[in-house]
Amino acid sequence: MSFLSLRGVSYGYRWQAPVFESLNLDLAAGEVHCLVGRSGCGKTTLLKLAAGLLRPTAGTVSVRGAPLTDRRALGFVFQQPTLLDWLTVRDNVLLPVTLQRPPGRSDADSADALLAQLGLAGCGQRHPRQLSGGQQSRVALARALLLQPALLLLDEPFAALDAITREDLQRDLLGLCRTHGTTALFVTHDIAEAVFLGDRVSVLAAGHLAHSVAIPPDTARDTPAFGACCAALRTALGLTGVAA
Amino acid sequence: MNHRERAVAVLLLALLIGSWELAAGWFGWSALVLPPPSRVAQALWQGLSSGYLWPHLGVTALELLLGLLAGCTIGFGAGVLLAEVPALRRQLMPYVVVSQVIPKLALMPLFIVWFGFGLAPTVVITALICFFPLLETTLTGLARVPQAQLELFHMLGATRWQTLLRLKLPSGLPAVLAGLRVAVVLALVGVVVGEFIGAGRGLGALVIAAQGTMDTPLMFAVLVLVSLLGLLLYRIALGLERRLLRAYATG
Repeated sequence: MSFLSLRGVSYGYRWQAPVFESLNLDLAAGEVHCLVGRSGCGKTTLLKLAAGLLRPTAGTVSVRGAPLTDRRALGFVFQQPTLLDWLTVRDNVLLPVTLQRPPGRSDADSADALLAQLGLAGCGQRHPRQLSGGQQSRVALARALLLQPALLLLDEPFAALDAITREDLQRDLLGLCRTHGTTALFVTHDIAEAVFLGDRVSVLAAGHLAHSVAIPPDTARDTPAFGACCAALRTALGLTGVAA
Repeated sequence: MNHRERAVAVLLLALLIGSWELAAGWFGWSALVLPPPSRVAQALWQGLSSGYLWPHLGVTALELLLGLLAGCTIGFGAGVLLAEVPALRRQLMPYVVVSQVIPKLALMPLFIVWFGFGLAPTVVITALICFFPLLETTLTGLARVPQAQLELFHMLGATRWQTLLRLKLPSGLPAVLAGLRVAVVLALVGVVVGEFIGAGRGLGALVIAAQGTMDTPLMFAVLVLVSLLGLLLYRIALGLERRLLRAYATG
């Protein structure tokens, strides 16, 4: 049984042509699935449908075979870090807990542990504006991972970062997902990022999942296999010319 | 401001007062029209040392604080209510706007009829003047919360009450405090002009009394006191803002 399943999902914004029609998407447990597509093709909408932030006009979204009821089983990382400026870094990470109950000693410990894993040890008492863009993205990631969600949804979280910081974060994210067995749906417009992170990569175009490629495990950057996957995706996206 | 700028500022003030003093003597202006600074300082010192000015200052400060407190509390509360209930906002906003375009000082004679002379009408008019900036800035502050942060709270299963207390109010706080700063300055105008018309005590009433006895130096002395009171309140509002917004401002 697939972990996250979108069956025959349609969605349209009012007065506009539908964004999706009868779209199917399945994620196996522990799979990191990347979704690439041109900007404006509905990647973010698809993610919001999976998160239950939007309701499909037709079709079903289910997690482990049941409709999503408990959002705590879900981590969501936005395009922007979306941190609260008036809270310390640690309180930002603890937000998913403090909205439900008073945080305990163990919550603070797991927040600190996550921050340390993401290279932010000792930053807990600082405020978001004192951090760099990359560090803010790490805090947002720690917040999404605090309750150890089984499913992580990421909406181009690293798009605004420089290439070096982005590669660091990609590696850290992958490590954390593998350690905790987290299933992740990662939306991006960066083909190399999708191939690096994904177990599978799907191309979203014109309201359909046009193409789905399985990436062989441990495909390192700058190898022919990596290049071949990128080239296949570029073709699927309708990009012609020499592959990057 | 560094030391050098500070020195220049003091020098500029001394130059302005000094040239006023000299010009008053040079041209032989009547103290009835424009008293020299020395006469104003003398009047101020006499009033303060004899204890004549203190009760008036006390009354004005009391009216100011009561009016500010009432106006800001109601303005803030109404702002939160109207921001949270859009249907109510659409219904009531026209009345709020109308209540603001009426020149409020023109209502003072009416308030005297309703509340009598003295403290009450002045406090009411001050509150009415403070009400609007707080309402307006609270409304805008709460409405300007970034969509992504609202979605975050929605995702995390926050209740409406939690979203208000832990997202919208902290997020709107800078705007609310800016409104408070505006309200403090406007409140002083409200108090003094309210006292012109409807009070026997207070700094505004004293200006009118001094005008009646042609005591221009006393009028200036009272104006100095009013300015100092305004400066003090403004500094307090600014200090409050700095303190509360410390976490927001670190860049």
